[in-house]
Amino acid sequence: MASKSLFTCILRPSPITLLCANNNNLALLPSSYACVQQVRHRRFPKFVVRPTTRKVWHVRKWTQKHDDKLITSNEQFIQDIVVQNYANKSESPLKDAPWNRNPYIKGTRRTGVLALKLGTMVQWTKDGKGINVTLLQVLDNHVINYVPPELYKFYPSHLPHHSDRFGLQVVGALSCDPRQFSKPYNNLFVKAGVPPKRWLTRFLVTPDAAVQPGTPLCVNHFRVGDYVDVQGRTRDWGFQGVIKRWHMKGMPASHGVTKSHRKMGSTGGGGDKDGIWKGKHMPGMMGNRFSTLFGVKIWRINTKYNILYVRGRSIAGAPHTFVRVSDTVLPTKRIKAENAENVPMPTWFPEDETEPIPEELFDEEMFQFTSPSVELEAES
Amino acid sequence: MALTMYPAICSLTPSMARLTSCYFSTSQKLYEIRKLARMRIVDNSAIGKAAAQLGKPPRVIYVYNAKEVGMLGDKVLVTVKGEMKRAYIVGLKQKQYPNVPRMDTNNIVLVDDNGSPLGNRIMVPIPSALRGKGGDLTKILSLATKFV
Amino acid sequence: MGFKGLFESGQGFTMTDVEGKLVPERGRMDVEGAFTHVSSSQVNVAYKSTHVINYKRTRAEIGQALRKKPNYLHYDLVDKHRSSPLQKGTDNITVETDVKAPRDYRFIMPEFMPRPHFEYRDRVLEKLERRDMLRRRTVINIPEFYVGSIMAVTVSDPFAPNKKNRFLGICIDRGGHGLKAYFVLRNVVDGLGVEIFYQMYSPTLHSIEVIRLEKRLDDRLYYLRNCPLEHSTFSFDMEPIALPRGAQVPVNTLKLKLNPKPWDERWERQDLKGIEPIELTPKMIKGIQKVHNASATPWKKHDLMLHYRSKVNEEEEETIMAEVYKENQLLESMRKTSKATLKKKK
Repeated sequence: MASKSLFTCILRPSPITLLCANNNNLALLPSSYACVQQVRHRRFPKFVVRPTTRKVWHVRKWTQKHDDKLITSNEQFIQDIVVQNYANKSESPLKDAPWNRNPYIKGTRRTGVLALKLGTMVQWTKDGKGINVTLLQVLDNHVINYVPPELYKFYPSHLPHHSDRFGLQVVGALSCDPRQFSKPYNNLFVKAGVPPKRWLTRFLVTPDAAVQPGTPLCVNHFRVGDYVDVQGRTRDWGFQGVIKRWHMKGMPASHGVTKSHRKMGSTGGGGDKDGIWKGKHMPGMMGNRFSTLFGVKIWRINTKYNILYVRGRSIAGAPHTFVRVSDTVLPTKRIKAENAENVPMPTWFPEDETEPIPEELFDEEMFQFTSPSVELEAES
Repeated sequence: MALTMYPAICSLTPSMARLTSCYFSTSQKLYEIRKLARMRIVDNSAIGKAAAQLGKPPRVIYVYNAKEVGMLGDKVLVTVKGEMKRAYIVGLKQKQYPNVPRMDTNNIVLVDDNGSPLGNRIMVPIPSALRGKGGDLTKILSLATKFV
Repeated sequence: MGFKGLFESGQGFTMTDVEGKLVPERGRMDVEGAFTHVSSSQVNVAYKSTHVINYKRTRAEIGQALRKKPNYLHYDLVDKHRSSPLQKGTDNITVETDVKAPRDYRFIMPEFMPRPHFEYRDRVLEKLERRDMLRRRTVINIPEFYVGSIMAVTVSDPFAPNKKNRFLGICIDRGGHGLKAYFVLRNVVDGLGVEIFYQMYSPTLHSIEVIRLEKRLDDRLYYLRNCPLEHSTFSFDMEPIALPRGAQVPVNTLKLKLNPKPWDERWERQDLKGIEPIELTPKMIKGIQKVHNASATPWKKHDLMLHYRSKVNEEEEETIMAEVYKENQLLESMRKTSKATLKKKK
């Protein structure tokens, strides 16, 4: 109980502090300063233990097919119906009046996209320098839902560290046959008027950058030369010991050591510091959790196949797994309000373009393979 | 051939060689220039020639960089015939970047304390990538007869 | 269980399991002979050449590849999504099969072959990579060459007097897939062996010329480092000798004699055809036996799944090579016309 109160009073401003903030004459003082009990601790655990239970707000996704005995012509008929009902649907929420579009200002946070990691490649700069890039394909993305901050505050998925100024934007990727999903899962997509998606995720957005449900997202959401954060799931290592999981040293192979060559040794001290402290590194499930690579540059964009070429090859996850791509939060690399004239707000719409966009967009420093070989010059 | 490449091992008897640390090497594939690495002097300085005739190639005893692993163009401290001399690395056996040559031997050029070379001619080709680096190397590169 | 089902579920089912049950130890030798005969006709070994890329991976590596990954989609499933009628806005690649490439075309352009590791395959990525490579080939002429050919390469060098640096030597290695393709040249300059590693599609390369087109008996000629220097010495003024049209690429069956020890590698443990037989000491023999026993896998030739995974599907290979062949034919015709126009102008 004590730890919980500590947590809340640090991260959540109390009503009194909010009042102080509204009144400019008063200084900002943490009202709960006096009642904080000083607890000696080393640090919070570096990684949260992987949750094994399903989230409360997740509905059951998969269901079993019961129509295995269908003949091929009937199967084809049902597939046609699916395409007719979903892909060629005439009723769409986008038929309604479009939402207002706001300019990009300081503090705006746009939605991200779900991309498929394809693999890595080598490219060159105009200085003849080789760079590694990772290819991310933004395939079949749609906005599924938007929840404004006022409502999202009361959602069970609203975590203590979420600010009250962000709304919830749900994005899905890869349309599927609805027969393989459960009914409550399919109902999530009724509002957006799109086929059910294989993969869903949520982004925190400010209300001025909210996107109308049913809107397709594509690679033009980003510009060449911008920086993004890429979040992917790391490799699943399963249950691992401390040497692999936390890089502990283990014990010697000889000199009287028996049965504890790869063990962690002591778990804690005695006296005042007795007991096992919270966050002690121990064996357990390793990997299969999100890891973010911050501030990676977009070197090149292919608009035909919807592909981003981003810097580096250390994005977590195997090829053909999903990654979340959004504008970077790094203060030095994020989009500045003064350079935000061409930023698609809240996202890119085909109506914006008067001329057909080129198939490939390159960064200024990028070497294009159709241009002649580079002639290097000595640095003076 | 064997004598010029590995004189230390060949000159010793097998039983003695087994006692020395250079009998086997775990970093042979890396070919890293660390302390006690054997080098080859490629200029025509008198002390270098004498060392080659004696069959005792110089040894690196310090590498003047933070990593203490000698790369192309780095300055090293070597022992030649019991004397300490400074030298520059002008060719490496290690795998190099694209378009940069990799040599069959680890080559150095001796310099004095002021940075001017002891010899007046270099007999082997020098990597062209060294020409971009300034400092004392410009004096050495003026002695070179060929670049690759 | 079908073949495809096995592949997707990732359960290892090998002939060894069957063999272990059916064939008793004593009669193995006789039966094995029979098996080899059958397997050589079933498993495709028609593409035998000196230039074979080694795709083999250990059992542990394949097991690692087949492990369950979070959120992983098989590449066939991804292709289904790309061509699904429910999907709009993203193009899928189209396959053109109106021309057919010569059968050995993949040995001429090995870097166009995709990586055979099925978990790293992606058809759109491969297509885009191939397009980049073909674009680069319009700017610079990358001729046909093999390990053992003598080549000359000109690269951009900011410090050279004419801003260019030319190197000539024998190609001792070639490899890499896609844009990462590379080759290594070796020559002896002023009595010192020099090797240079080149990236084939790097924009710093200005020209690649083949002086003498020929093959050697081995795929990698790193043993030239431990051979007499005269075998890797070539004059920088060598003039190119063109082969007559339609002639086969000659194989140089030269056998070299190694210098006495010490060597850079244990050449006696490698299966090299381009060197003379080595006088083996008892220690060498022991080492060879040790390595041989460690890597002795007589069951591997019956492992059909291993053979299937170690190479790219033949139909797909044909389509890829046909695409590359078509583009290259176009390029060559363009080059010829441009040359003819240049001559006319003169």
